[in-house]
Amino acid sequence: MAAPMELYCWKGDWGLPSVDPDCLTVLTYAKFSGAPLKVHKVTNPWRSPSGRLPALKTHDDGVLFQPSKIITHLRKQKYNADYDLSAKQGADTLAFISLLEEKLLPALIHSFWVEGKNYVEHTRRWYAESIPFPLNFFLPNQMHKRNLERLQLIRGDSWREEDEDTERQLYTDAQECMSLLSQRLAKHKFFFGDSPASLDAYVFSHLAPILSAKLPNNKLQQHLSSLPNLCQYCRAILTIYFAWEGDSGPRITPKPQSGETPDTEEEPHKRRNQVLSVLVGLLAMVGYAVLSGIVSIQRVGPDHALEQGIAMEDNEEEEE
Amino acid sequence: MGTVHARSLDPLPMNGPDFGSHDDADLVEVEPQKKQEILENKDVVVQRVHFEGLGRTKDDLIAHEIGQVFKAKNLIEVMRKSHEAREKLLRLGVFRNVEVLIDTCEGEDALPNGLDVTFEVTELRRLTGSYNTMVGNNEGSMVLGLKLPNLFGRAEKMTFQFSYGTKETSYGLSFFKPQVGNFERNFSVNLYKVTGQFPWSSLRETDRGVSAEINFPIWKTSHTLKWEGVWRELGCLARTASFAIREESGHTLKSSLSHTMVIDSRNTSILPKRGALLKINQELAGYTGGDVSFLKEDFELQLNKQLAWDSVLSTSLWGGMLVPIGDKPSSIADRFYLGGPTSVRGFSMYSIGPQSEGDYLGGEAYWAGGMHLYTPLPFRPGRGGFGDLFRTHFFLNAGNLCNLNYGEGPRAHLRRLAECIRWSYGAGIVLRLGNIARLELNYCIPMGVQSGDRICDGVQFGAGIRFL
Amino acid sequence: MSLVTDAFVSQIAAVEPWPENAALYQPLKSEQVLLSDNASCLAVQAFLKMCNLPVQVVCRANAEYMSPSGKVPFIHVGNQVISELGPIVQFVKAKGHSLSDGLDEVQRAEMKAYMELVNNMLLTAELYIQWCDEATLEEITQPRYSFPYSWPLNYFLVFQRKWEIKRKMKAIGWATKTLEQVFEDVDQCCQALSQRLGTQPYFFNKQPTELDALVFGHLFTILTTQLTNDELQEKVKNYSNLIAFCRRIEQHYFEDHDSSISSSTKLSKGPTLP
Repeated sequence: MAAPMELYCWKGDWGLPSVDPDCLTVLTYAKFSGAPLKVHKVTNPWRSPSGRLPALKTHDDGVLFQPSKIITHLRKQKYNADYDLSAKQGADTLAFISLLEEKLLPALIHSFWVEGKNYVEHTRRWYAESIPFPLNFFLPNQMHKRNLERLQLIRGDSWREEDEDTERQLYTDAQECMSLLSQRLAKHKFFFGDSPASLDAYVFSHLAPILSAKLPNNKLQQHLSSLPNLCQYCRAILTIYFAWEGDSGPRITPKPQSGETPDTEEEPHKRRNQVLSVLVGLLAMVGYAVLSGIVSIQRVGPDHALEQGIAMEDNEEEEE
Repeated sequence: MGTVHARSLDPLPMNGPDFGSHDDADLVEVEPQKKQEILENKDVVVQRVHFEGLGRTKDDLIAHEIGQVFKAKNLIEVMRKSHEAREKLLRLGVFRNVEVLIDTCEGEDALPNGLDVTFEVTELRRLTGSYNTMVGNNEGSMVLGLKLPNLFGRAEKMTFQFSYGTKETSYGLSFFKPQVGNFERNFSVNLYKVTGQFPWSSLRETDRGVSAEINFPIWKTSHTLKWEGVWRELGCLARTASFAIREESGHTLKSSLSHTMVIDSRNTSILPKRGALLKINQELAGYTGGDVSFLKEDFELQLNKQLAWDSVLSTSLWGGMLVPIGDKPSSIADRFYLGGPTSVRGFSMYSIGPQSEGDYLGGEAYWAGGMHLYTPLPFRPGRGGFGDLFRTHFFLNAGNLCNLNYGEGPRAHLRRLAECIRWSYGAGIVLRLGNIARLELNYCIPMGVQSGDRICDGVQFGAGIRFL
Repeated sequence: MSLVTDAFVSQIAAVEPWPENAALYQPLKSEQVLLSDNASCLAVQAFLKMCNLPVQVVCRANAEYMSPSGKVPFIHVGNQVISELGPIVQFVKAKGHSLSDGLDEVQRAEMKAYMELVNNMLLTAELYIQWCDEATLEEITQPRYSFPYSWPLNYFLVFQRKWEIKRKMKAIGWATKTLEQVFEDVDQCCQALSQRLGTQPYFFNKQPTELDALVFGHLFTILTTQLTNDELQEKVKNYSNLIAFCRRIEQHYFEDHDSSISSSTKLSKGPTLP
C-alpha cells in the first residue's frame, strides 16, 4: 500500500472520537483491525468526496460511504477483525448487527434527532455550532428531516398510529435490545472472547453516543446505566483504543500512523467565513441605509436643483 | 349602501345586508327623475345600449343578458328591464359592480322619444386570491383559494382551493361554464381530494375524485346530471375502532351516475316563510366501472305555511333507500345516517340505528319527518334589524333508520320502517347565518330510544345547512 | 403496542382463555398474497400451531388495511386485534403460552437477534425482489397486488406502494444494491442460519421457538413460490439442513392437520420441497 486510504468522518465530541454512530463504527473497526487510515475529521459533509459521512476514499473502488461497505472493503484489504471467529460466531455477528439495526437504531435516531427537546437543545445546537457558517443554517434542519423520514420508513407503521404509542414501543424495543446485549455479553471482555471483532465495533458505536451525549431527555441512557457490564464495556473500549483522544480532541491515530491530518484545514475557512459574514452584513446595512436614507443625505447636499436627479441615480446604483 | 336602507320601504330586508342588490336598484331610478314629467306616459324606444368598462368580457354574452331592454315600450318598463338586466349581469359573477344610466338620446339620428341606456361596469380582476387559517379540534389548517372569474370572457370560472393542515391536506379544482344567454344551463368539472373524520363511526375517509355535472332547468324544476368517479380510502380513526369498522377499511373505487331534480318555490332557503321544496336524488353506481355497485334513491320534501302573528308552520319529510347490486354488501361510506341537532333532534350526531361496539354503521333505508312552528322571538327585541335573524321554534321530529332484507318484499319493509320509531320534541332558538346555514340551540326530549342509540337529552346545540 | 395496552392486554388475557373463534386474517391466498406477506402469514400460522392454539384462517382482500399496523397478518382474538409476529408472541405469552420459556438468557438474546436477522435481511430482500426488480414487479407483483381493484385504482395503488418501498430501501441503504448483491445477502443470511442450526432439529435443540416459526415461514415461502427465475430458491437450496428443517416443521405441524390450513393443501400437493 503506497498511501493510506482516506476516511472522512464527523469530528468527535463528548469524549468520543466521532459523534455519528456510523462514523464511529468505521473508526472503531479500523482501530480493531489495525487498518491504516488517514482520517479527516470534518464538520462539513460537503467536504466529503461523496457528500456524505462517513466516506472512504480508496485506490481501486472509488469512494465508499456505507459503514457495511467500508468494513467489507477493509476486510478485503486483509484488515479483518473477525479473522479468529468460527462460522457460528460469524452468524451471530450478523444476527446481532441486525438486532441493533432493527431495535436500537430507530430509538437512537429518535432520541437524537426527533425528540423535540433533545434535538433543539442538544443535537441541533451541536451541529449548528460545529458546521461552518452558511451551511449551519440549513444542514441541521435537513439532517433532522432526513432522519425523521428514515425513522418513519424504518418503522413503517407510524403513519397510521398515534405518535405516543409508536414512540413508547420504540423505546421498549431499544431497552429490550440493550438488555439482550447485556445478557449476551455477560462477564466477557468482548462479545467473542478477549479480542474485539466487528460486532464489538457496531455495538460500541451504537451504545457510546447514548452513554456520552448529554441529552436533556435521555431515556436510553437511564436504561443503559442500569446495565453495568455494557457501560464498563464501552468505557474499556474508549480507554484502550481511543486513549489519547481527550475531550473533542481533533487527533486520531487508528494505528501509530504518521500522516495525521487534524482539521487544521478548518481554520482558513473559518476566517474566510467570518470575513464573508461581516461583509454581507455590512453590505446589507449600507444598502438599507442608502435606500431608506437618501432624502436625508441629499438635503445636506449643496445643489437643490440636482437633488432629485442624484437621489434617483444613487438609488439605482444601489439596486444594481 | 347605508343610504339605501333609509329609502327602502320594505320593513324586513329579508335578504340581509349582503344581498342588497335590489336596494341598489333604487339608486338607478334617481337619474331619470328629471325627465319623468315629460316621458312618463309616453311610448319610448331604447335606441342604444352602451357599455362602459368592458374588458375581456365577450359581447355575445352581454348581448344575451340585456336583449330585453330593447323591448321596453315606456319609461317604467325601461327602468324595470334595465334593472332586471343589471341583476342578470351581476349574477354572471363577472362584474364587481354594475351601474345603469338612462338618458335621452343625443346626436343626429336621435329620435324624440329615443333613450340611451348606459351600463357602467367594473370587471372582476383576472385572478383573485384568498388566504385564511382555521383552527379546529386539534387541528390547524391553512386554506389558500384562487379564483379566475371570466376565464375566457364568457363567464367561465375556475376555482382552486388548497388546504394544508397539520394532519391532512385537501384540495379542489373546479371549472364552471354556463351556456351563453342561459345562465341556469351550465356545466362544471371538479377535481378534488377531501378527508373526513367521522368520530361517530370511528372512521376516516379520504376521497380523491373527479366529477362532471350538467345543470339545466325544465319548466319549474331544475335538474342536475352528474358523473362522479371517486377513489375512497377508508380507515379506522383509532386503534379502538370496532371490528366491523376495521372490516370496511381499504380502498374502493366508486363510479356513479346521479340525477337530482329540485323544485323550490320557497322565498328563502334557511328560514322560509312560504313555499315548498321537493328534491329527488337518485344515484346508480357500478354501471360505469368501479368496484361498488348500488342504486340509491332519496327525497326531501318541505312545506311552509305562514300563520298569524308572523309565525310559520313548516313540515318536512325525508326518506331514502339503498339497494346494493350484486352480492357485495353496501359500503359504510354509502349508507344513510340519521340523528343530530338538525335532523332528528335529541339524538347525537348520526347516532341512530345499527351499531357495533359504539360505532354507528348506518342503514340502507331511512325516513324522517319533522313539524316546526317558527315564531318571532318573544316580545320581539331588535325587530326590523338584528332580531329578525332569530326565530323561536317548537318542533316534533321522528324518524327511523334500519337495514332491509331485500328478499322480504315491500310490506315487510314498511313494517320494519314503522317499528322502533325514534321521535323527539322540544323548543329552541334558531339563528340564520347569511343565506347558507343556521345555528340551533334547542331543548330536546328524545322518545322511542332504542338500545344502542346515543341520545342528547336536554340542551343540544348544532349548525347545519340541511335541516329537518 | 404500547405499554398501556400491554398492561391492559396482559390483565385481560390472563383472565380469558384462548377463545375458540380466534381468527387470523391474511390476504387472498391464491390470487393476491405476495412473497413477503405470505412468509409473515405462514410464520404466524406456524407459531400458533407450535403453541397448539387453534385459529381460523380468514382471507380478505383488504387485510392489509384492516390491520392496525398496516401489515399482515393479524389475529382477532376476543375483542383484541394484534398484528405481526412480535406483538402476537407477546400477546400469546400473556395468555400463558410461550415457546421460549425454556431458554436461558443468552439463548433468548440469540433467538431475538436471529429473528431480527431474518427480518432485516430476508424480509427486506423479499421486498426488494418483489418491488424493486422490474421483471418481478411487472410479472408477479403488479397483477397480484392490484388483484382486488379495478382500473385505474390498480395502477395508483401499485405505484403508491412501490414508491413507499423504494423510499424505504433508500433510507436503509439498499437502493444502490443490485439484484446480485441482494441474492448475496440472502445467501449470507441463509449461511448464518444454516450455521446456527447445524445438525439440531430446531434452532434451540429439541423444542421449536418463535425463531423456528419465523425462519420456516420465510424459507418455506421462498422454496415454494414460483418467481420469474429460480435464483432465490437456489440460494436456499444450497443448505440441505435448512431444507430438512422446513420439511420437518411442515410434516410435524402442517401435514397431519386437515386442509383447513390453507398452506397444507399446497404442501400436500406441493412437490416443491425437494
